Amino acid sequence: MTKGALLIARNNGELDYAKQAVFLAKRIKQHLNIPTSVITDSVDYINDSLDHTVFDEIIPIGYTNDNNTRKYYDGTLASKTLNFKNNYRINAYDLSPYDETLLLDTDYIISNDLFKSCFDSLSDLQMFSKSQDIANIRDSREFIHISEYSVDFYWATVVFFRKTPNNELFFNLIKHIQDNWSHYVSVYQLSSSLFRNDFAFSIAAHILNGFMTGDYVSPLPGKHMYTTDKDILWKLEDDNFTFLVEKKDYVGEYTAVKTQGQSIHVMNKFSLERIINDEQN
Amino acid sequence: MDERLEKAIDFSNYIVTLNNQKRLLKEEYEENLLHYFNGGQFTITKELITFVGLLVNSKNVEDVVLTDDNSIPIKIEDLAKFYEDVTDCYFSASNSYHTKYNILKKQRSVEALVGLKVD
Repeated sequence: MTKGALLIARNNGELDYAKQAVFLAKRIKQHLNIPTSVITDSVDYINDSLDHTVFDEIIPIGYTNDNNTRKYYDGTLASKTLNFKNNYRINAYDLSPYDETLLLDTDYIISNDLFKSCFDSLSDLQMFSKSQDIANIRDSREFIHISEYSVDFYWATVVFFRKTPNNELFFNLIKHIQDNWSHYVSVYQLSSSLFRNDFAFSIAAHILNGFMTGDYVSPLPGKHMYTTDKDILWKLEDDNFTFLVEKKDYVGEYTAVKTQGQSIHVMNKFSLERIINDEQN
Repeated sequence: MDERLEKAIDFSNYIVTLNNQKRLLKEEYEENLLHYFNGGQFTITKELITFVGLLVNSKNVEDVVLTDDNSIPIKIEDLAKFYEDVTDCYFSASNSYHTKYNILKKQRSVEALVGLKVD
């Protein structure tokens, strides 16, 4: 059985997902000791300007300029509206070169070896449903159910899957959901029509559980720890993170928080890129 | 600003940061209490240790089935070895938690709590 990590890096002119992928691939090698492949529309850029040797395979896809946009924050006071290219995750099953794949967002920073156990687990499909906001002051209900009266929320940030007929069915169902997104927005009472992988994966899990809560998807080891893009990654040394997290009711003020040895989803991609650039210089 | 209020706000910031760090340390401890065996995930609790210890003491050690965190039945061929592994993991995680907690509670400033300065 071949095993490895798979990343998707599609740059949008402002955020350098390819550079994030190189950074993460090195950490995956360090902590999990598995190869990493990347699906990207920036093959020449990676080969010419970045350390492409960190990748096992570079899987090319065509460049598209999608209409999807969203606001990206850099702390509480600064933001930019940018292209949001999130519609390729559905192809991960078809494009993964591995029998056992750990699919990760490039902003999920691996800092321990907890995911090694995914590959030993009996479960063929694993995702996070439980999560913990580092700041602990925000309303996290949106990460419990996909809408107020709807189904359980699963994070598509990290997905472990084996190539099995059931998982092929799962990913094909997600493709169908994406193709008919407006219908599912209505049926599942989503508050925004913006396509989100978390929602599409959650809806697919609900359908394959017989339209009920069930165990079609098993939990990944540990808990999904995250900071939002209103927090700032201030410092990263090995597996020690220092964040400035949003302070409740004081816009523009922050509380310092330190973590050690915990993998964290850093949604503020601007601050993540500053850290990566500092490390390179 | 009134000095008394200024001191109170400084202390309040310190307490918020201390509580955050305590919470994150507990999360780290809980992650360290996960033990993986034969494809199953076991969160090591005092209850698990007591139950497994009871079975080991009553000489029920071969091919014992335990349900894991996801209610999947996992066959444990050598329960005595499993017991040794989970207790090792428990003490290692707990000792690390204890050490880090004691360091944390000695820090007297926000900067020291987040490792930007040594008190």
